Amino acid sequence: MPLLECKGLIRRFGALVAVDAVDMTVEPGEIRAVIGPNGAGKSTLFNLITSTIRPSGGRVIFDGVDITGLPVHEVAHRGIARTFQLCHIFPLLSARENVRIAAQARERGRWRFLGGGHVLSRSASEADEALERLGLARCARTPAGLLSHGDQRLLEVAMAVAQRPRLLMLDEPTQGLSIQETDHAVGMLKTMLAGGGLSVILVEHDMEVVFRLADNITVLHRGRVIADGSPDAVKANAEVRSAYLGEFD
Amino acid sequence: MNWKLGFAAAALCALLPLVLPQYMLTIAVEALIFGLFAMSLDLMVGYCRLYSFGHAAAYGLGAYSCGMLLTHLHLPLPLGIVLAVAITTVIAVPIAWVCTRSTGVSFSMLTLAFAQLGYAMLYRFKEFTGGSDGIDGIPRPAGPFGMTVLQGKLGYYYLVLFCLFGSYLLCRAVVGSPFGAVLAGIRENEAKTRALGYNTRAYKTTTVILAYAFGGLAGALYAPFAGFASPELFFWLASGRVLIMVIVGGAGTLIGPILGGAGFLFVEHQLSQLTDLWPLIFGTIFIGFVMFAPQGIWGLIMRMFEKPPAAQEALAGEEASRAAS
Repeated sequence: MPLLECKGLIRRFGALVAVDAVDMTVEPGEIRAVIGPNGAGKSTLFNLITSTIRPSGGRVIFDGVDITGLPVHEVAHRGIARTFQLCHIFPLLSARENVRIAAQARERGRWRFLGGGHVLSRSASEADEALERLGLARCARTPAGLLSHGDQRLLEVAMAVAQRPRLLMLDEPTQGLSIQETDHAVGMLKTMLAGGGLSVILVEHDMEVVFRLADNITVLHRGRVIADGSPDAVKANAEVRSAYLGEFD
Repeated sequence: MNWKLGFAAAALCALLPLVLPQYMLTIAVEALIFGLFAMSLDLMVGYCRLYSFGHAAAYGLGAYSCGMLLTHLHLPLPLGIVLAVAITTVIAVPIAWVCTRSTGVSFSMLTLAFAQLGYAMLYRFKEFTGGSDGIDGIPRPAGPFGMTVLQGKLGYYYLVLFCLFGSYLLCRAVVGSPFGAVLAGIRENEAKTRALGYNTRAYKTTTVILAYAFGGLAGALYAPFAGFASPELFFWLASGRVLIMVIVGGAGTLIGPILGGAGFLFVEHQLSQLTDLWPLIFGTIFIGFVMFAPQGIWGLIMRMFEKPPAAQEALAGEEASRAAS
């Protein structure tokens, strides 16, 4: 059974059909990239899956359960963690506190408003673990807003990891990074994902990043899926070349 | 060091009435009550960025319910205060639920609307609330167990001081708890907090209810002390006043608004004896704080004691450049 299944997802903005009857599945442990030119509907698809916006039609099935239209925080609780295209962090809090708040979201005692020291310490140690995994332990005490842009992107991934999701959704994790930073980030992601088990949806513009990380690729063009398959198959697809890859030749 | 400082402040407040003249004691009690009131609003403003323009409703609800309980039911004073806080908290639940449906300016307007609704209802149900006269002659009954100490001004001062310190410690615990950490997240980036799996509206609703409870306590302490409760307690001017106290004191610090509230009342009392133009002077002070010391009184005090670390300055610079771009 696939972990995530999108069935005929549609989203209209007025006359514009941003996402047009998209079918997509993600198997457990699969790393799937979603690519396409600007305005192809990648981010909209992302927001539909995480319930940030409601679909005009179609359904999202996660782990066999229909999660279409659930509140955003409910979707997160079911095991879908996401990062944002424009980095979303808590700039005035320390890197460690950023990740700790993410880890605390799974705690039963997250609501405690008196006491709750054990909740704080347990989530703090999970935060340290997540920071370690993404090579951010060195700047745990730094206010997140002071980190380099590359570290901020990794910090957001660390926050998502601390949520212990089953599906990790990364929205352009290397956007705005220098070549060195991109290389570092991709290396970190690859090491982190090497353990396996975690399913990933990756929206990315940088083809090299996609080919280094993804098992399978879904290509969107004007809201429709025009290709779906292994990186090699997608590279060879003529329609994809004319719609998208050609731009990079 | 922090504990020592707190202890010193508590001891100072406890010894203060021994040196104050009688008439100053009245102002001191009112100043402490206003400190508590401002601190309750700080839970919303400072920790959740929820700018309530109607916090007078909490104060008014506490004052009126306490006044009615004491006048009509002749309850012992502590019981009256506790029940008044309970009533305020219960009424706060639907108000908080409705107000947190919206954010930003609409949130402010909704809170204002509820406070004005309370104001209007006082006139509508005259036989119950006394209309424009309010409730007069609220007693300060003896008891329980024939205790008369709270009937005197000095005893009442210590009651208010006890409530203020207790509330402060409770609020400190709340903002340092897992719940408080989520509030920090909401303040910094609400969309992200929601995406992490927190039902942010529920957290905000709870914060508003808490703020109402502590605000209600302030009102409940005020009514039996002043001996009356008037519709002005609900009026939007009162809401604006307490918001100014929070901002001048230093939002998001709890202690700052206590100083702001107490200081505001004290300065107002002194100035209003000197000149009729005192609101003008107040306006100037307020503008000065907003422009030159947005961290408020407490921020200024902290800056005197410690140089801000370079990191904080750099962060402020980064924030500014991000805001500019």
